[in-house]
Amino acid sequence: MNKINTFLVSATSLSLLLAGNVALAQEFRGPVRIVVPFAPGGTSDILARYIAPELSDAIGQPVIVENKAGAGGNIGADFVAKADPNGHTLLLSDLTALLAAPSVLPSVAYDIENDLAPVTMVSYSPYVLGVSQNNDFSSFDELVAFSRENPGQLSMATSGVGANNHITTERLIQDQDLDWTVIAYRGGSDATRAVVSGESDMLLNGTTASLPFVLSGQMNALAVTGEERLDELPDVPTFRELGLPGDLDGTYQGILVTAGSPPEIVERLQTELATVLANEEIRARIAEQGGQARPSASPDELKAWMSEQKSELASFIESAGIRQ
Amino acid sequence: MEFLSVLDVSFFLLVGFGTLVGIIFGAIPGMTATMAVAVCLPLTYALGLNNGLALLLGLYVGGISGGMVPAVLLNIPGTPSSITTTFDGYPMARRGEGEKALRICVIASVIGGLISAAVLFLFAPLLADFSIKFSYVEKFLIILLALSVIASLSNSMLIGIFSGVIGIWLSLIGDYSISDGGNGHTRLMFDFMEPYLFEGFSLLPVLIGIFGISTILLEAEKGVKRDVAGERVKIGASGRFSLSTFKGSLTNLTRSSFIGTFVGMLPGVGGSAASVLAYTQEKNLAKDSSQMGKGAPQGLIASESANNALTGGALIPLLSLGIPGDATTAVLIGAFTLQGIQVGPLFIPENHETWYIMMTALVLANFVMFVLMFFAIKHIAKVVMVPKHILYPLIVMMCVVGAYAINYGIMFDVWTLLIFGVLGYLIQKIGLEVAPLIIGFILGSQAEVYFVKSLESFGTYSIFFTKSPIALVLWALIAASVLFAIAMGFKSRARQKMELSQMHTPSNTTAGKRHDSTNG
Repeated sequence: MNKINTFLVSATSLSLLLAGNVALAQEFRGPVRIVVPFAPGGTSDILARYIAPELSDAIGQPVIVENKAGAGGNIGADFVAKADPNGHTLLLSDLTALLAAPSVLPSVAYDIENDLAPVTMVSYSPYVLGVSQNNDFSSFDELVAFSRENPGQLSMATSGVGANNHITTERLIQDQDLDWTVIAYRGGSDATRAVVSGESDMLLNGTTASLPFVLSGQMNALAVTGEERLDELPDVPTFRELGLPGDLDGTYQGILVTAGSPPEIVERLQTELATVLANEEIRARIAEQGGQARPSASPDELKAWMSEQKSELASFIESAGIRQ
Repeated sequence: MEFLSVLDVSFFLLVGFGTLVGIIFGAIPGMTATMAVAVCLPLTYALGLNNGLALLLGLYVGGISGGMVPAVLLNIPGTPSSITTTFDGYPMARRGEGEKALRICVIASVIGGLISAAVLFLFAPLLADFSIKFSYVEKFLIILLALSVIASLSNSMLIGIFSGVIGIWLSLIGDYSISDGGNGHTRLMFDFMEPYLFEGFSLLPVLIGIFGISTILLEAEKGVKRDVAGERVKIGASGRFSLSTFKGSLTNLTRSSFIGTFVGMLPGVGGSAASVLAYTQEKNLAKDSSQMGKGAPQGLIASESANNALTGGALIPLLSLGIPGDATTAVLIGAFTLQGIQVGPLFIPENHETWYIMMTALVLANFVMFVLMFFAIKHIAKVVMVPKHILYPLIVMMCVVGAYAINYGIMFDVWTLLIFGVLGYLIQKIGLEVAPLIIGFILGSQAEVYFVKSLESFGTYSIFFTKSPIALVLWALIAASVLFAIAMGFKSRARQKMELSQMHTPSNTTAGKRHDSTNG
């Protein structure tokens, strides 16, 4: 009996050792899945499809993009959170949405900080403040002056309660002490539709959605988020230039992995993805999407950014009373 | 025509291939045009823009059309927009006119598709401006108009309305999200159901369950014995198709195609509303609509021309505004972005060649669909000749696979399918009707959201009457629709009384739920 037990123990430890060795060699032992928690065709999905073939070349394994949509990204995130922690299941998602979810939603099935581990940031997309043709505002200051004289008269469209652009809208309102009517539409295109048709007066939205309307003259851009002006809108100032705080921000896309995945694998992923995101062609494609490639220097850098964002979002959302 | 020079053989092959695959997707219950486009989207990455669009538009047109096949032959709407095709298609198939019904559908489809393509080509930018003016108020009224069909869909108006209300009730189960104007709590369920039902029952599993599985259960009840004895649907003699079926249908065809194009054009109003609306209008406006729901070609024409007209309609706001008209075109945006093209107000002026190529692909896909379906129908229709004890288990299996696949792998959707299969069976057993119920289910939650959002945005009830002239026209149509249903109700009650005095007959005739004497 004892002998058998000893044998079993040594066999097990031997195999564990071997498994350890494989991990040390940082080799991927099978296909890698990038789970996108949104429907095909969205920003996260397209980023994943840009990255997948490059990552596949780099690690010598097939990389498959899988869409698991629903509940504002939380179904896919939960799937990755509960996946086998072997570093072969990645999540590419809008990070701001996931970080805000615990504060906005009544319940979230996973803990973003403990069940998911950061790999790298992917890209940043600034917001544009677009106003409808209802009023002839030529600058943000004019808009603010009008709001002060006519409290409650201007309406701001958002993509939904607790959506990123809703949170940013509330930040703007709080910061400038404005009296705007905030109307939650059913998704970003519905909100865009409302502003283009003049049903609502303005919205903050990604450049991909708003830029074509600005360029065709159906919407006026008054300001953009981020550190720099946009190449496409050289005359439109940033909120920072206008003296507004830097927390008026756009959205961030990033890659996370199941928590407890071998650190060597996570580091390898981060290095490979940094190379992919440094590729000029990929950067140009992300720019076409209205984004800026922004790989993290290390998983820890993203970890620090995430925990700071999460607590900041939690306290802001609490103070603004945004709840779904 | 110089843009044609950039096209090569592969373009035409891809349109054909896309249409074929789309038809297959559409015909398998649980797989939809949206899925077909989503699944093939990554392929377009390697194909380049023109060929990618050829494939995707083929899939789109094929996927919408394919839904007619199981709708007619098996009483299972292959896609949500073929729901009204089951109302008249299945009764016809049971009479042995499956082939004829399918041919009518194919012709109606191609006409609907081509009319909408023409509208798209000629008026896209103009109509786009019109379509974005439709606020929540008008959308609510359109849904309400479609909902009014539940009153006239059943032989007994009260049973129709009662079944419809149950459907609406079922559609409200789940989270009443604050984004939809609610309180953020779940409704009409117990707390322990929350992990499964947070977003309510998903549409397609309910649809397939309540139509398909329940039909199969009703068949199973009869047992295998009689089936083996050769109880099969005969195709042929009684089901001869001739173009004369379309005589006098010109108004119906045109009206339904325009309704389909128009509903497709409105972002956020689902495709199923298009066919329901076209069906309602035919029922209200046709000289004789007494046979509708019992196997009348006019019902098929309305339903299929409207749902295929969706394709051109939904592309209007997509191409001229960058706002998708339905779920499938939302996925199509991805194909453009993958190729680095922005759809939006600048798309058509800046990408003339792509625009012409899309139109070519769209028109071509409609013709390919027509040819493939029209000549293959004879063989497809033979599905019903497969002995039922072999056919039905296979269909159940496909339904289960489809239900599991629809939301990319959620087991609860399979349970939804089975629960609603049994529910659909019980509903018919106690004399309620599934058709109004399912329409209530599809449109109920939409109606609520648009109603609440209208109030939220405009703050007064009077907005429903004062918003725009369009709103008033819609009210007039709703009133006409309801009055018509009441008039029909009186007529059929009088007829029923007469029949009752002669002999006792069951009154469940809608959607062809007679389970005896129709076979063989």
